[in-house]
Parts: sequence; structure tokens; C-alpha cells
Amino acid sequence: MFNKKTALTLGASALLVLTACGNGDSANEGEESEGASGEPNELTVWTWDPNFNVRALEIAEEHYKQDNPDFELEIVENSQDDVIQKLNTSLSSGVETGLPNIVFIEDYRAQSFLSSYPGSFVPLEEYYNTDDFADYKIKAGTYEDEVFNVPFDSGVTGLYVRTDLLEEAGYTLEDVTDITWDEYVEIGKDVTEKTGVKWMTNDHNDLGIIRVMMQSSGVWLTEEDGETPYITDNESLKLGFETYKELFESGVMNVHNDWDQFLQAFNNGEVATVPTGNWITPSITAEDSQSGDWAIAPIPRQTIEGSVNASNLGGSSIYVLNIDNNELAGEFLGATFGSDVDFYQDLATEINAIGAYEPAAEGEAYQVESEFFGGQMVNKNFAEWTQEIPEVEFGGSTYEIEDILAVSLQDYLNGADLDEVLEKAQQQAESGM
Amino acid sequence: MKNKLLMKKILMYAFIIVTCAMFFFPFYFLIVSVTNASIDVTRGQLLPGKQFFENLKTVFDTTDIVNAIGNSSIVAIGQTFIAIFISSLAGYGFEVHPTKGKEIVYTLILGSMMIPFAALMVPLFRLFGVISGFAPGFGIDTLLGVMLPYFSTAFLIFFFRQNAKMFPKELLEAGRIDGLSEIGLFTRVFMPTMKTTYAAAGIVTFMNSWNNYLWPLVILQNPKNYTVPLVISALGSSYTPDYGAIMLAILITTIPTALIFFLLQKYFVAGMIGSIK
Repeated sequence: MFNKKTALTLGASALLVLTACGNGDSANEGEESEGASGEPNELTVWTWDPNFNVRALEIAEEHYKQDNPDFELEIVENSQDDVIQKLNTSLSSGVETGLPNIVFIEDYRAQSFLSSYPGSFVPLEEYYNTDDFADYKIKAGTYEDEVFNVPFDSGVTGLYVRTDLLEEAGYTLEDVTDITWDEYVEIGKDVTEKTGVKWMTNDHNDLGIIRVMMQSSGVWLTEEDGETPYITDNESLKLGFETYKELFESGVMNVHNDWDQFLQAFNNGEVATVPTGNWITPSITAEDSQSGDWAIAPIPRQTIEGSVNASNLGGSSIYVLNIDNNELAGEFLGATFGSDVDFYQDLATEINAIGAYEPAAEGEAYQVESEFFGGQMVNKNFAEWTQEIPEVEFGGSTYEIEDILAVSLQDYLNGADLDEVLEKAQQQAESGM
Repeated sequence: MKNKLLMKKILMYAFIIVTCAMFFFPFYFLIVSVTNASIDVTRGQLLPGKQFFENLKTVFDTTDIVNAIGNSSIVAIGQTFIAIFISSLAGYGFEVHPTKGKEIVYTLILGSMMIPFAALMVPLFRLFGVISGFAPGFGIDTLLGVMLPYFSTAFLIFFFRQNAKMFPKELLEAGRIDGLSEIGLFTRVFMPTMKTTYAAAGIVTFMNSWNNYLWPLVILQNPKNYTVPLVISALGSSYTPDYGAIMLAILITTIPTALIFFLLQKYFVAGMIGSIK
């Protein structure tokens, strides 16, 4: 039964809980009240992926500590969407409390942050030599002629192929090396017919593969200004849609709906190729039983003048926020991600990360032959292809335009006229800007 | 005739079994996946595997889940007690006390339910930035800061007022005659009578708080202060997610809410239909 006594006890216990955590937190807060961290040798980073970005930072911290033993790095791990959410909330409300010193931002989203919050990020050219990096990575973080990023992972793409299935259908790795998307479709039809295994898998809502095609041809969803949607006159995009429809209608495409099903498709041997970014490697090699059956060819190119057999999918860069301690943050990034060849060797060996740092490719870790991929020098190939990736202006609305195009693609697959759906998408994108 | 009845029964049970299976399957999959390696989870393996201890190790090595459960408990328990006390006081007041203009205020409060939280977040964060300046214990990156916006919610006030409509007002008269103060009437007459309503409101508040994601995400910065949903979300942030470990973390954190729900289920149902003994 409730009576005055229980009510009082309840109230008192609630108060106790409150004061208890109040005290704990104010103690915490005392230490952390000046910007991200009160300590002059401590930096805070926001990033995602414990096995990749976080691990890379830990390796960087180890390297930096060799010369700066007092240095401390506090890594705060959230999902990528959460990092974006937190960063947007903090920056748009203008509250500096709790902001990190360093943050990872995916290249496709960087321009929207740099243009929405001018002055919130620190230019970093003075801390490292930008010429040592692939141009397209530097361009992703350049805003109004200043470089705000230190590039991290290259999203360099490759065509992961099952050589055993190719062989069964009478093809070799050579036959899928440096080919066009048209050739890719033709070989796919043949392989699917002869082996009964689908050629590739895709999610109709994820236009990553079309982004890959566009970058290989040096164009993007916006024009050079980064703002005007570039859809109706975009030959590369149009060709990409046609290739996609051909892949779908000829029955060589397996359709998945989410990431699990994507991984499942190749781990279960349901598809013969995976054209995607090099970050998929750990997921491919997770299936031990397929060791030796895979190889990686360069990504196909489009039948457009200037299109090359190298492209990019995803990848992020590192940015420094304009709060206390930003010099230390710049120095730390410059000394590790910006210039340390040994650091990049460890990255390649420990987490299969391919950086966009050119001198790193000379190192030993890049000359290793991978047993899983039939003895190919996987890292070396990726590093070479990275340097060939055409640079494009990602602009600030890649995903917004892509959401519109995902609907267009559905309409097109359902039989609508290509020019009409693209015209509609162009109008929608323009009115949405 | 008998056959017809039997048929009806069979159909009924078939329907119930299928429905139960549909609701039960996700839980079954969760529990089985806890014992499987990530790759088996993506393959859709439906039989238990041998990876349970591996997954357990991954969860405890890569996350500070024990600490997160502690934080979530503080937030959920503190928030529940304070929110149901304050909101019930308001709901009671709206129903019992004749005040001029109370309906206008009540409508305004209800109207605030229409504004999505996402729209309030930036101004709210800004406010907390200011609070951090003079009362850091309540500000950004504190557990109190997580709870503060939820100390009274429009839904709870509405819920208590609706239920108070069925509260027999004669009891208050009787109490007054017996010499109870106004506070005494609330704590010694209203609160005990509305036990089931409090239980139902408590469960709803506890679960909302336990599962709350967006606000803790933006206001908490130091991983030491993270609540459970933030830790699970970070665990799933990888390019190559470890589904076995994620499932285990989810299972561990589902247990407290499930326990509370089953313990208070009786009151919850009674409170939801608004019965008064």
C-alpha cells in the first residue's frame, strides 16, 4: 500500500539517484570543461568502425607516442550516422562543449559540412604535403581553395571474381581484366548460363555501382560548381542506368535488400563477381572455404572517352575542428596519416587498409602475395589503381540526389522511358536544392 | 455438429500457433544467433552453434557494456520515478482542481506532443549548452542532462488525467473531512488508489527511457557515460559487423526490460484498461 512513508521513501530514493549521478558527473565535467579535453596532450576523436577506423587510430597513436610519450588519444566510437547526427547538432547549435578535436567524415559528405559550417574546421595544408596523396582524395576535402582534410582510406574499387567459376565457363582472369561494362555484362550472361550462378548482386536502392561508373568517367551527380544537379545531360549516368537494366533484365543480377543479404550472397557462393570498394576484402576472406577461388581484377570502365579502369566507392578523410588544441591535432595527423610510411605498412598488414598516400606503396607490406586471392599482390594493385582514380567534385548533396535517382531507377526498370525519368529527376533535384 | 466444433477449434489453434510462431521467431533467432559466428548469422543458421563464449569475449572486450547497463539503469530508474511523480501531480491537478483556463493550458501541453523531437533537438541542445555554463552537473555529457527533458512529458500528464477521470472524487471529500492536507490527499488517497495506473505509467516510462536513443546520443560525449543503445549502435557500426556479438549485446540488454515487464505485467494490463479496485 502507498502511504506517506512509501511516497517519501520513493521521493528520497529518486533524489539519491539524482544526486549520486549528479556528483559523479560534475566530477567528470570538471576535468573536461575546456573544449574536448582539458589536458594539453590529449585529443578526442569521433569515428566509426572498431575494426577499421578505430584500429587505424590506435596504430597511429602508437606511432606518434614513440616521439611524444605524453600524448593521449581518446577515441569515441559511434556509427557513422550517429557521428553525423552529433556533429550536425553540435555545429548547428553553436555549442562547443563536448566537440571532439578530430572527426572522420565520409568523402561524399565532406563538402556539405565544409560549406554549412564555415570556420568550424581548420585548414591542414601546413601539416603535410598534399602532393603525396591521390588527387581525388585531396579534392574531396578542398573548399574555397583550402585543404581541410588529411585523407584516410582509399575507397579504390576492384572486380572481385570467382576464378573457379570463370574457369568452369571457359574464361580466365585475363578475360575480365581491363574490360568495359558491356563486356562485363556479356561475359556475365555466359557464365550464369553455363554455371547457373548469378553474376553479381545489388540492392536497387543502393546506386553505389552507378557512382563507381560515374567516377571512372570523371563525372558526378553535380556539375563542377558542386551544386547544380547534373542528371539529364550526364552521359555516364545514362549509360550506367542502361548497364544496370541490362544486368537486371538479362537475369544475371541477384537482388538483395540489405547488407546481411549482400554478404550472404558471396559468402554462400551465390554470385561469381562483386564489383565494389576494397573495404569488402575482410568480408570476402571471412569465408575460409573459398580461399584460392577469388581474384581481383580492375573495375570495368564505361564506353565513354576518358573512362578508366579505376574508380572509388566510399572512403573517408580526417578533419580537425576549430577549437582549443587544433595545432596538436594537425601535428598528430600530419606526422602519422600525413607522412609516416611505416604507419601505412602497419595499416596494410593489420587491417588491410589501403591509404591514398603514394610513397606507402613502395613498402614491403604492399608486396605481399595473398593466398586467398590466388597469389595476387592485392595491396600493391589497389595502391596502383588508387593513383589512377579520376578526381571529381563530390558536391554537397550526393545522397540527396541519389535518393531521387533510386526512384528513377525503379521507374526505369519498370519500363518507363530513360530520358523522361532522368528529366523528372533533374527537376526534382533542382527544386530540392 | 461436434465435428464442426472440432474443426473450429483446430482452425483456431492453428491460427494461434502460427501467430505465436511469427512473434516468437525473432526471439528464437536472437537467442540462437548468440551462439553462432557472424558468418553463420548472415547465412541464416537456425541451429545453436558453439560460438557463445567467443561472442561473449568480443562483447566484453570491445564494449563497456556493464558500465552502460549501469548508466542506463540510473537514467531509467531516476527518470521513471521523477517523471511519474511530477506528471501524475499535474494530471491529478488538471482533473481535480477547478482552475480558470486550465483547459487552455492542457490543450497547449497536448499540442506539444505533435512536435517531433528531432525538431526540438537543436534548440534543446543549445539550451543545454547554456546550462553547462553555470550548472555543469545538469549540462552536456551528464546523465542528469539525459533525464532532464523527460521529467515531465505531455503523454504522461495526459495518461494520468485520463485515468484520474475514473477516480472516485468522493474519496477526496472523505479525506478532507478527516482532516488531510491537499498534499496528503494526493499522496495518501490518490496515489494508493491509482496503483495500477502508476505501474503502467512506470513501465512505459522505464522502457522509453531504456530504449531512448536520439537525445542521449547527442548529449552524451564521453563513452563512460554512454547508455546501452549507444553502445549497441557503435557495435554495429563496422564495415564488417560481428552479428553474433551484436545479438548477444542485444540479448543482454533486453533482459532487464523483459524482467520488469513480466514482473509488473498484471498491473500493466490493469492500468492500461484503467480499472480501479
